[in-house]
Amino acid sequence: MASRHPALEGYTRYRAVGQLAFLLHRITGLGILLFLVIHIIDTSFVYFAPELYDEAIQIYRSIPFMIGEIFLVWSVFYHGFNGIRIIIFDLWKPEWWEKDIAVKSVYWTLALSILAWLPAAYIMGRAIIENHFMGG
Amino acid sequence: MKVTLKVFRYNPETDQRPRYDIFHLEADPNDRVLDLLEKVKAEHDGSLAYRRSCAHGVCGSDGMRINGRNRLACKTLVKDVGTTIVVEPMLGLPVQKDLIVDMEPFFEAYRKVMPWFINNDPPPEKERLQTPEERARFDDTTKCILCACCTTSCPVFWADGSYFGPAAIVNAHRFIFDSRDQAAAERLSILAQEEGVWRCRTSFNCTEACPREIQITKAIAEVKRAIITGRLD
Repeated sequence: MASRHPALEGYTRYRAVGQLAFLLHRITGLGILLFLVIHIIDTSFVYFAPELYDEAIQIYRSIPFMIGEIFLVWSVFYHGFNGIRIIIFDLWKPEWWEKDIAVKSVYWTLALSILAWLPAAYIMGRAIIENHFMGG
Repeated sequence: MKVTLKVFRYNPETDQRPRYDIFHLEADPNDRVLDLLEKVKAEHDGSLAYRRSCAHGVCGSDGMRINGRNRLACKTLVKDVGTTIVVEPMLGLPVQKDLIVDMEPFFEAYRKVMPWFINNDPPPEKERLQTPEERARFDDTTKCILCACCTTSCPVFWADGSYFGPAAIVNAHRFIFDSRDQAAAERLSILAQEEGVWRCRTSFNCTEACPREIQITKAIAEVKRAIITGRLD
């Protein structure tokens, strides 16, 4: 509760725009890290356990994994754009850490990441439908 | 208008866990949340505990979480927060009772940055002069009322209370960039420590929470820059 787990309570219940970017940056970062670890493990199968490699690739072709990859692409875009936003503000334009500009920059970053993601999401989504539902 | 006020209640000496009490009140849209708390205390439950002093946004006593974000109860109008209002203590400081938190860790961090004027030159006959531009350099950070709304809105502070927090840095900024002060280097070296400005992740919850509208994240960025460059321009 309030006094015992302030971080947990704050991350889930505190309401602020800056907090949204703070949390999304961490969640997308952890998601990318998780994928990277999985990817390193499955690639290592080529050397250590070749019989498992094909199995791993089959898992990648399953619908839940392919949907996960679509969100992974968004995570990469968001994490990248937000990182660039913070670098620009911190290193070149500290005066932009003013409330109105900073709040707007959070929404702009979110919009940009979605815009950049949409074409990839369309192509990847089409691949799921073609591979799994249209006998492709 | 009818208002539902949901208030966090907790007495660490007697309660195992916190609870929320709900009060249905008649309120004017221009009433402040503090007015509602006063009404509850006077008419419904005299045991409700909260801090208040000037009740006009100057003393900084009644910082609390109102509908999920830190505000001063005396500066928050009912019409701005809706008809269901949830009032909780600020996060990251131990709850002493209901909406009252122990401010000592907050003031401990504040004292560490030496928030007082330091100039060892003999005082002039009248006063230590500075130009309007020199005064304007730190004007924004003179507005702090030490309500702790910023520090207790900081995700880094929630996770680790040893971080000095935005309020301490704001008050260091007020003296670091004062042309009459002589201890900027010392303060900057304090703020360059592990618990200092580098813990800031620029989530700018602090700037959003400040009831005095101080551009806190910007002030922290200026302190970071001063540490890196060694310049106070």
